Amino acid sequence: MKGLWLHLSPFAPDQSGASAVLYGLGGIIVICDAGGCAGNICGFDEPRWFTQKSAIFSAGLRDMDAILGRDDKLIEKLALASGQVEASFAAIIGTPVPAVIGTDYKALKRMAEHKLHLPILTVDTNGTRHYDEGAAKAYLELFAELTETNSTKAKNSAADTELTAKTDQPAATKPTAAEHQAANQARNLTSPAGPVGVLGATPLDMSSLDAAERLQKVLQAAGYQEVYVYGMDGKLASIRKAGQTSKNIVAAPSGLKAAQYLQAKFGTPYEFNYPLAGEDLTQALTAQGLTLNPAWQKILIVHQQVAAHSLRRIIRQKLPAAQVQTATWFLLPEELREEGDLHLTEEDQFSELVRKGHYDCIIGDSLLQRAVPFYQGAFLNLPHFAVSGKM
Amino acid sequence: MNKQPYYITARELAGLGRDQIPPELISNTHLIYSSPATLSFNSPGAQGFGVKRAGLAIPGSVMLLVAPGCCGRNTTILSELGGYSDRFFYLNMDENDIVTGKHLRSIPQAVVEVCQALPQKPTVVMICITCVDALLGTDMERVCRKASEAAGLPVLPCYMYALTREGRKPPMVAVRQAIYSLLEPLTKRPDTVNLLGHFAPLNDDCELYDLLHQFGLKQINEISRCRSLQEYKNMAQANFNLILHPEVRLAAEEMETRLHIPSIELTRMYQLDKIKNQYHILARTLGTTVQDGAYYEQARQAVETFTKAYGQVKVAIGGMLNANSFELALALTRYGLTVREIYGNLAAEDFVYIRKLAQLSPETRIYTNLSPTMLYYDCSDSDIDLTLGKDAEYYHPGSVNVPFNEERQPFGYEGVRLLFTQLQEALDQAASGRKQNHIYGSASAFAAKAAAESNNTVKTSQDPQNQEEGSDTKIVHNLEGRNQA
Repeated sequence: MKGLWLHLSPFAPDQSGASAVLYGLGGIIVICDAGGCAGNICGFDEPRWFTQKSAIFSAGLRDMDAILGRDDKLIEKLALASGQVEASFAAIIGTPVPAVIGTDYKALKRMAEHKLHLPILTVDTNGTRHYDEGAAKAYLELFAELTETNSTKAKNSAADTELTAKTDQPAATKPTAAEHQAANQARNLTSPAGPVGVLGATPLDMSSLDAAERLQKVLQAAGYQEVYVYGMDGKLASIRKAGQTSKNIVAAPSGLKAAQYLQAKFGTPYEFNYPLAGEDLTQALTAQGLTLNPAWQKILIVHQQVAAHSLRRIIRQKLPAAQVQTATWFLLPEELREEGDLHLTEEDQFSELVRKGHYDCIIGDSLLQRAVPFYQGAFLNLPHFAVSGKM
Repeated sequence: MNKQPYYITARELAGLGRDQIPPELISNTHLIYSSPATLSFNSPGAQGFGVKRAGLAIPGSVMLLVAPGCCGRNTTILSELGGYSDRFFYLNMDENDIVTGKHLRSIPQAVVEVCQALPQKPTVVMICITCVDALLGTDMERVCRKASEAAGLPVLPCYMYALTREGRKPPMVAVRQAIYSLLEPLTKRPDTVNLLGHFAPLNDDCELYDLLHQFGLKQINEISRCRSLQEYKNMAQANFNLILHPEVRLAAEEMETRLHIPSIELTRMYQLDKIKNQYHILARTLGTTVQDGAYYEQARQAVETFTKAYGQVKVAIGGMLNANSFELALALTRYGLTVREIYGNLAAEDFVYIRKLAQLSPETRIYTNLSPTMLYYDCSDSDIDLTLGKDAEYYHPGSVNVPFNEERQPFGYEGVRLLFTQLQEALDQAASGRKQNHIYGSASAFAAKAAAESNNTVKTSQDPQNQEEGSDTKIVHNLEGRNQA
C-alpha cells in the first residue's frame, strides 16, 4: 500500500536537511513549527546539537497563529531574537504547518528583511520530502544570498539577472552525462588550481562529525591547497568566497543544484565524487571482519547516490566480475544512473527488489535489514545517518 | 546586545506576581530555544514518554502514525527501546494529502494491513495524528470508527498536536484521555483504586501502596502494570481514582462522567511536612487514619544524613526531572541547601512555591529553558557543585549531576528518600574520585563537605513560615458514599 511502512521508520525529512546545511554558520535558524519538528531536528537529526551550540529555534507556533496566519507575530519574534542573539543571517525553515496554511515565504522574507536588516533565507520545506531535497534548497538560498558576486570568477553576468535560488530548478540547463564529462575534461580538472569546494557534505550524508576534516585531508592529499566544505566546515567565509573556487565537488546529490547554480553564475565546474568512499568501505569491512569476497557475483548498494556510485567504482576495480547495482531512496541524478539502478519510494518496493535480486551482498545502513528479514546473503553495514540516525 | 541569558530572581518574580509574569518566561511571546529541556517540554513526541510511547500504554496495542515523514522520524529510537520495535507503523503523507486530506481514505485499509502483518492481532490500534490533521480539522473519531469496522477491533485516535501546547487539551493531556477511553462501565469494587497520571509505575517501595492497603484498598491499579487487556479493563471497577499528575485531570473528569469513578488529586512534593499533611488529609477524606511515621522517619534520616555531609552544597535545578523544579527548589532550600539557579518553565500555579522561595532564598535565579538568550549561558564563573536534571547538566557540564528522571516514578516519602540517597551517592562518588586525583577545590562541594561535617543541622519543615502553603489534596469529586473502603 502506498505510503504504508511496516518495518522501516521515516528517513530524515527535508527540514532536517535544510537545517543541516545552515547549522553552525552563525545564523539564526527558525524552524517554522509548533515545537515537534525542532525537537526532531535537534534531538535526532542534528548530531552537532549535542556538542555545539547553535541559534536554532522553534517558532513556537500555536493553533491560532496558524489558523489566523500570524506571519507578523513570527517576524516580531524573529526581530526580538535578532536583538538578543548575534547573527550573520536569519533563516526560516518550513514544516508541515506552514505548508498546510500556504505560507508565502517570499512575503515572509521581505517582511523579515525590512525588520531585521539581515540577509534572510527562507526554505520552503514541508516535512513530506527527504532531507536531501531540503538541503538542496538551503544550499541554493545560502549561495544566492551570501556568496560575494564581485569575485574575479564571476563570468556570466547574464546569469545574475536570470538565476534565482528560489526556484526548485536552477535556471541552468541540466547537462547530460556526456556534456558534463566533456566539460570537465576541457577544464582539465585533474590538475588542482585554487580552492576547491565540497557540496552536499552534512552529517546526514557523511555519517560522521569529523567529515569536514576528513574531506579536507583527503583533498589536500590530492593536491588541493584550500578546501571549502560548505556548511560543514562551519565557516560562513567559505560560502562568501564560493564564487572563487576552481571547482566544486558534489559529494551527495543534495549539492547538485547548488553546483549547477554556481556553475551558471560563476562558471565554476563541478564533478561528482564521494572522496571518503574508500575509507568508509574499509572501515565498514573492518568493523564486521569482512573482506570483499570474490564469490560475490551480485552486489546491491543502497545509499545516497554519489556515495553508492563512488563505492561501485571502487568495488568494480577490486571485483571486476561482480555485477554492482545501486538503489536509493533519495535524489538520483541522471548522470549517476546506470542501467538497473533503482529509485526507491516504498518499503515493499525495496523488499521486492531484494527478494527477486538474488544478491550475494547488500551494502547499506543496517536499519534496512528490518525490511528484508528473509534475506540470507551478506549485509555490509554502511551507516547512513539520514536513514537510521546512527553514525 | 548584552549577550547575557535572561533570568529573574525569586524575589523579583514574587514581587511581580502571577499576573505579571515577564514575557521572557511566557513561551508564546518569543522564539523557543532548543535546549534538552525544551525538547522534552515543547516537542510532544521527542523524549521519554512522549505521545508516541504513552499512546501505547494499553496492553497489546500498536500505533499507526499517520503523518508526514518528519513526524515519525524520531520513532526509530523509540522503536529500539524494549518492546516497541513491532508496535509502531507509519502511513506517510505526501503533499497531496496535506492539501486534500486524501490520506484519510487510506487509513481503514492501512489498519487492516497492519493487523495482517502481525503474528497476533493487537488489542487496539491507536491512530496517531499530528499538526497537519489539527489544521485540516480532521474528524478522527469518525475515521477511527470506519477503521474499526474494517479491521474488527477497537481503533482509537491519539492526538499529537504540538500546536495545542498551551490550549485546553495539550498533547500529553489528550493522550492521557485516549488511553483510558477504552474502559467501559463495570460494577464497582470498594477495595479498588486506580493510580492515574504516569505511564510507568511508582517505585515498588513507594509507601503509597502500603498506605492505601492501610485504608482497606486491596486492588491498586496502574495502567503500566496491566499485563492484559482484561486487567486494563478492570480499571473500570475502581472505587475512585488517585490523580498523581495534573495532566490526567481531564481524563479523570471524563472517567467520572462516563464510568462514575470520582477522583482525588495528590501532588508530588519533596517537602516532608507537606507530604505528611497530604497523606493525613487523604486519610480524613476517606474517613480513616494513616500510620506513616516510619516512612516519614526514613525519609527524614536520608535528608539529615545528606545535609550533615553536604549541607553547604550549591545546587542548580533543571526542568527535566521527576519533580516540579520550583517545589523541589523550595524543599531543598528548606532543608538548608543553597539553590543558586533554577532552569524551569514557569506556570502560574508555581507561584505558591515562588513566594515561599522568595522569602527563604530571594536571590535564587530563575532562568527559562525556552529563551533564545540561554544560548549565552556561561557556567565558567559559576560555583554550582551539584545539578539536578539532565538539562541542568547541559548548562554545567562539569558538575556532579543527578538526572532524577527515571521512568519508574518516585512519590511521597520514598521519593524524598530516593532523591537524597542518589544525591549522596553522586557526591560521595565524585568526592572519592577527586580524592584519588588530589584535586580538591576550595569552592567545591567536597570542601563544603568537610566544613559541614563539623557544624551542620538539618533545617526541617517546622519553620512556622512554611505552614500555610497549599498543595495538599486538591480535588475531591463526589466521594460521598464511596469511602466504604
